[in-house]
Order: sequence, then structure tokens, then C-alpha cells
Amino acid sequence: MAILEVSDLRAKYSSKGPEILKGISFQVEEDDFFAIIGPSGAGKSTLIRCINRLLEPVSGTIKLHDVDVLKLGNRELRRLRRHIGMIFQEFNLINRLSVMDNVLTGRLGYVGSLRSIFRVFSNKDIQRALELLERVGLQDHVGKRADELSGGQRQRVGIARALMQEPNLLLLDEPTSALDPKISREVMDLIKTIATELKIPVLCNIHNVQLAKEYCNKIIGLQDGNKMFDGPTEVLNQANLEEIYEMEIL
Amino acid sequence: MNKSDPLRSYSIQGDNVDREWRRFKYPQTLVKYGVLLSVLVFFTYSVHYLNIPLDRIMGMFGRLGDVLANRYYPPDLGYIANQEYLDAIVETIQMAYLGALFGLLFSIVLGWFSAHNVSPSQRYIYPIARVITMGCRSVHEMIWAILFVTILGFGILPGVLALTMFSIGFAGKLFSEEIEAIDMGEVEAIRAMGGNHLQVFVYGVFPQVRTAFTGIAIYTWDVAFRAATVVGFVGAGGMGWYLKRNIMQIETHRTAAILLSIIVLVVISELFSAWARIRVSKAK
Amino acid sequence: MPNETPATTVDDIVRSRKKKQRIQFGFYLFLLGLIVWSIKATVIDDTDWDRIGSLADIGKSISHFIGIDFSLIPSLLGPTIETFMIACIGTLLGFIICIPAIWFGALNVTPFKSVTYPMARAAMTISRSIHEIVWALIFVSAVGLGAFAGILAIAARSLGFIAKMSAEAVENIDPRPVEAIRAVGGNNLQVMLYGILPQVLPIILGIVIFEWEINIRRSAVLGLVGAGGLGLVFFRQMHTFNYPGVTTVIVAIFGLVLIGEVASHYSRKALI
Ligand SMILES: Nc1ncnc2c1ncn2[C@@H]1O[C@H](COP(=O)(O)OP(=O)(O)OP(=O)(O)O)[C@@H](O)[C@H]1O
Ligand SMILES: [Mg+2]
Repeated sequence: MAILEVSDLRAKYSSKGPEILKGISFQVEEDDFFAIIGPSGAGKSTLIRCINRLLEPVSGTIKLHDVDVLKLGNRELRRLRRHIGMIFQEFNLINRLSVMDNVLTGRLGYVGSLRSIFRVFSNKDIQRALELLERVGLQDHVGKRADELSGGQRQRVGIARALMQEPNLLLLDEPTSALDPKISREVMDLIKTIATELKIPVLCNIHNVQLAKEYCNKIIGLQDGNKMFDGPTEVLNQANLEEIYEMEIL
Repeated sequence: MNKSDPLRSYSIQGDNVDREWRRFKYPQTLVKYGVLLSVLVFFTYSVHYLNIPLDRIMGMFGRLGDVLANRYYPPDLGYIANQEYLDAIVETIQMAYLGALFGLLFSIVLGWFSAHNVSPSQRYIYPIARVITMGCRSVHEMIWAILFVTILGFGILPGVLALTMFSIGFAGKLFSEEIEAIDMGEVEAIRAMGGNHLQVFVYGVFPQVRTAFTGIAIYTWDVAFRAATVVGFVGAGGMGWYLKRNIMQIETHRTAAILLSIIVLVVISELFSAWARIRVSKAK
Repeated sequence: MPNETPATTVDDIVRSRKKKQRIQFGFYLFLLGLIVWSIKATVIDDTDWDRIGSLADIGKSISHFIGIDFSLIPSLLGPTIETFMIACIGTLLGFIICIPAIWFGALNVTPFKSVTYPMARAAMTISRSIHEIVWALIFVSAVGLGAFAGILAIAARSLGFIAKMSAEAVENIDPRPVEAIRAVGGNNLQVMLYGILPQVLPIILGIVIFEWEINIRRSAVLGLVGAGGLGLVFFRQMHTFNYPGVTTVIVAIFGLVLIGEVASHYSRKALI
């Protein structure tokens, strides 16, 4: 059964600007670890950002659990977003807040405005945040400020924050491209294990084809806003890659 | 230069224009001299239009020094050393502090609403907030004071309100500029988690601008205090009224004493602000 | 082991967060109390509430101001131009008298540090601490009513800001060109002309334009104390209780300030 169904998605950044996505369709199934690959500027981030409408697509449909995402009003959209975890290339943590507070921000969609202003979170949330921080191996850094952490540690906070949302879909926008190869693998391992454990489908932008092949079971390839490849990882061959990247790949 | 400084963008802007300049040197130079010439013509015409006695200017400075030395010196310090005048000083400080405070509270909201990257509604709230800050800025604090005195009568209240409007105009623009320069990644993260506009502001925006806001707030206090020393001119409380009365009665020695007290207070306030600014930038 | 570090049990975290929140809350409460107290002490006790009357009365006095006095518009043109010119010439004059202040007030170029530097700094402080209205009054008493007093007031008030910012710019220059000129045997004047001036001129011009924009706003009120321009018209309308006329003048000021802001924005962009 398809969890996420995207069809004929078109997107622009400005009404007069060029079309960045030119009719993309694909489906994400229940336990997919789904990769989007493609050269820089192909529109991978744009595609991911359309799924939770950080960018409003021009046309097309996005169905998540049979809900038409593009038809939702503001309030319902926020309701929907709180179940979509997102992990960013640049981590996007609140640098001035502590690690704990950063993880707790994952609950923002669930707490009232007034409580969130004074950073009042329930004991249950704090308990859960602590468990997640232990899970990602940061139990010793709970009180530190986010900008005192290394890149890999920050991304772990990002993962904990996304999990704090109790997501039923994870969107990853190049989660490892700001990290070195070894840490990249650790982070991908962590995401993969947790996603499998909690049965959360993952949609993942990824630069590194090797990583994509290793961790993902399905791949779509974008080039200049068009879909060039769609299929299971095993099927992807050299010729496909050369077509996607428009160059010889050794 | 301080981060909150309104002028900090110059040198940055200067760099990239520079390259274009060299490439089109010939027409650009022509434009430059054209502009220079027309500015010169305009100035000459203005001097003529306003009947400025150019030939007397140099002598004027000498006479001015003379006037200051003979008529304003020595300041009549006895005049300002009494309870009544001290009360007026306290009143001035209170007025400045309340005006700056209210102004800053409004400015935070207005700065948020009029920053186009995070404004809750770009179509309605953004332009309205912009017009409000713009309006507060364009009207001079003295005019605000006169208007409020007309509506509310003499007293501190119109002074406080005038300074509030003034502070809104001053800080609102700086705040929104500061917000427009933030890193949008953090904002996007909060949005992606389903945060509403308020949460986006509190978590995604405010932590990033807190230090800059504090600097701007201190700066606002500085200018509000200076403005507070004169709103009393039109009956809006504080020491301005003493100043006006003595100037009108040509009590130059007393005026000098009052001016001296203003300068001393401003210097104290500035030292205090400088100290506070250093503390803030250290605390981060 | 992680379990032994005290800060990692839930209870501890909850407790420390609660404590922080309590402190924060107390701080806000204190602030609120302070504000309420000063409002009471100054605004409520001091204000003549009978004179103000009810909210309806306030509404009524505000409503006087609604409307535009069209008959006034033709006679506004002259004062508007005058205000604009006062701002322009005042800024120029301020800039001219600024030059020695910048020279004396920048630590790296000031000629006799122990004498000239404090002198320049004192001049800047005095210029900035005295409000333009007070400057105008002083000059009106010295040179008489009219635009000239306004120009002098604007110049006196601008000196502080322009000189302070410019001196800072001079202090922050790139020292390498200066050293280069010193190295080829340039004297102090040559250092200043070829090493320092080219670096800071665009910045100083930017500062002057910025101040000019503010000066438009200032020159619009100097008429209140007899220094010419729109302020005088404003004052007259106020005295004759012609409230729509007051609004008209304010709109005119608004327009002038807007023009100034746009011009300042573009000219600063076009600057070198
Ligand atoms: N905020 C924006 N405004 C306008 N155009 C944008 C914006 N962000 C991206 N673009 C354009 O959209 C196109 C696709 O960008 P996108 O960020 O989706 O690429 P990408 O595939 O994620 O590349 P990368 O691998 O470098 O992250 C690019 O041509 C880019 O110039
Ligand atoms: Mg990208």
C-alpha cells in the first residue's frame, strides 16, 4: 500500500521564474527507504520541500495516507506537518538553545502557544526526549548548547528532534553531506535502524550514489526537474547513472 | 562597528559595485561629474533662495564664540541645584524609560510583522505594519508631542506617548532589518515541525536576534532620552520646559546651566549604554 | 557511565527546568511590577484626567484632525522647498565643519593625541547631546529668526554623528596602503590624501547621505522655534486651531521624508 503518492508535481520559486520540477510522479510504500538522487540543482531539495509544503507546488497532487496534502488549510497543514519528521543538510538546530530544548521543539506542534513561549513541556515529553537522546548516543550532552556540538552530534540532535514528533514519514534533505564519510555512515546507520524499528518510511535526498545504493531499496533519479529513473536499487545500473548525471561515472 | 548599526551595510555594498564601475569607466565618470555639477548648482541656488549672507558667515562664527563666552559663561549652577529641577530630571528619565519601553514592546511585534521573510501574512499584515513604522518614523518627536498635548493636555502622559511613537519608528525599522537578515534554516525547521507563527517567531527567529535586539534597545534608550529632554518644550513634561522658559527670557546663564546638566546626563547615559552593550556582547 | 552523571535523570532535568522557569517567571513578574509602578507614578498620578475627559472626548479631539485643508496646499510649496534646502545646506555645512573633527577624532591620524583627540570627542558629544530644537533656539538668539539659524542648527546637530561614525571608519581602515605610501617616503599629507581618503570617502559619503535623510525630518520641525520651513506653517495652523491644516502639513512632511528616504536609498546604492 502506498503511504505517499506524488503525481505530476510541478513547482516554481517565483511566478515568473523557471519551472524547477516538471511533472514528477512516484510512490513511497510502507517500509521503503526511498532515495532521490541527481546532480546539484536537479531539484531534489525542491521536491522534498514540496511534500510538506514548505514550498507551495504549482500543480499536481500529493497524497499522504490518502489525505490530499495540497488541499489542506493552514491549521490542518500544521497538524499534518507535526507527523512528518524532517532532517536537514545544515541541521537547522536552534543554535542558542540547549540540546534538550532543541529536541523538545519536536513537540511544538502538540503544545499550546502559551506553554511553548515559556518552554513548558510535560514530564512525559522530557522523559521521551531523554530516551531519544540516549538512543542517538548524546546522553552526556543534554545541557550543552547546540552550537557547542560537532557536526555529527548536531545531526544526531536533528534525528532525535524529528523522532520526537512521532513521525509517520521522515523527509531527509541530504542528511550527511555536511559530514565526513565515517560519520555519514554512522548517521545513516542510525536512521536506518530506527526507521526499520519504528516502521517509518523514509524519503531521502542523497548526493552520494554509493550511500544510496547501500541504504535505500528504491531510487528515483532527477535531472533538471525531470524524472530519469524510477525503480528498485538493484535495477539501477551504470547506464542509468550516466543518464542521470549526464557524465561518465567511473 | 556594532552589529545593530544602521550603517553597517555600506562597505559591503561598496565592494560589488566597484567592479562594474571600472568596466564602464567613461560614461560613469561623465555621470559622476554631471551629478556633482547639478548638486553644486542646486546648493548655489539654495544659498541664494534662502538669502544666506555668505559674506558674514565667517564673522558670524567669531561672534558666536563671543556670545557663548560672554553671555552663556559662567553657567548659573545655583539655578539647577534645587529639588524642583531634580524632580524634573527624574521625570525626564522616567518619561524616556517608559516611552522607550512601550515603544520597544510594540516594535518587537511590528518588527516581526514587517519583516517580509517571517511576517504572518505577506499580503495584509506586512504592508500595514510597514506603513505604521514608516508613519511613526516620518513624524518628528516634537510633532508627536504637540499632537498629544493638544489631545491630552499638559503632563507626562503626552510626553510618554510621543516618545513611544518615536521609539516605535526608530526601533521598528532596525528590528525588522535584523529579522530579515536571519538564517531561514531554523525558521524552516520549526515550520516543518508544524509550529504556528508565534512558535516560529519564539523559536526560529527570536533566539537568533536576541543579542542584536538588546543592542538596538540600548540604542533606543539613548535617543529616547535625548528626545525626552526637549518634549517638555511644548508642555509634555520633563526638563524641556525649564529650558524653554529660560531661553525665552534670555536667561543665558541659567540656560547654560541646564544645557550643561543635559550634556552631563547624556554622557552618563551613554557610558552606561556602552557598558551595557559590552556586557551583552560578552554574554552572547 | 552515563547513568552516574547527575544531569541525565529525568527528575533532575525536570527539577532544573522548573527552577529556571520559576526564576524566569519571577523576573518577568518583577519587570511587570516595575512597569506598573512607573505607569502609576508618572502617568496616572500626574495626568489631569478631568481635562482629558472620557474616551469619547479623546475621540472627538482626534476627529478634529481628520481631513485635509486643500486651500493650504498652494502656500505649502515654498516652505517645503525651504525645509528641503535647509536640510541640504545644513548637512553640507555640518560635513564641512566635520572634517577637522574627523581628523582630530580618529586615533590613528589625530595630530596631538593628548590635546586634539579629547577636544574632538567633546565636540562630538556636545553636538549629539543637544537636541536640534535647542540648537535652533541658541542660533535664533545669535543670528535672528530665519532659515540661516535652521541651517546652523542642522549643521551643529549633524557634526556629532557624522564625525563619530567617520572617525570610526578612519580608525578601521586597512593599514597596508598607508604603510606603502610611508614606505615610498610620503609625508603626512600625502598619506592622508592617497592612503586614507580613498578608503574612507565612500563610507563617509554614505554616512553623510544617511544623516541628510534624518536632517530632512529635523528641518521640518525647526520652524517651531522660528527657524523657517514647514515647521512654521505647522505652528501657525496649530495656533489658529486649523486642525485639518495641521494634518495637511504633516502629510506634506511625510511626503518630503519619503522622497528623502527613497533618494537616500538609491544614492547610497549608487555610491562608488
Ligand atoms: N529559494 C530559491 N529561489 C529561487 N530558486 C531556487 C531557490 N532554491 C533553489 N532554487 C533553484 O531551484 C533549482 C533546484 O534547486 P534544488 O535546491 O532543489 O537543487 P538540489 O537538487 O537540491 O541541489 P543540491 O544537490 O545542490 O542541493 C536550482 O536551479 C536552484 O537555482
Ligand atoms: Mg539540495
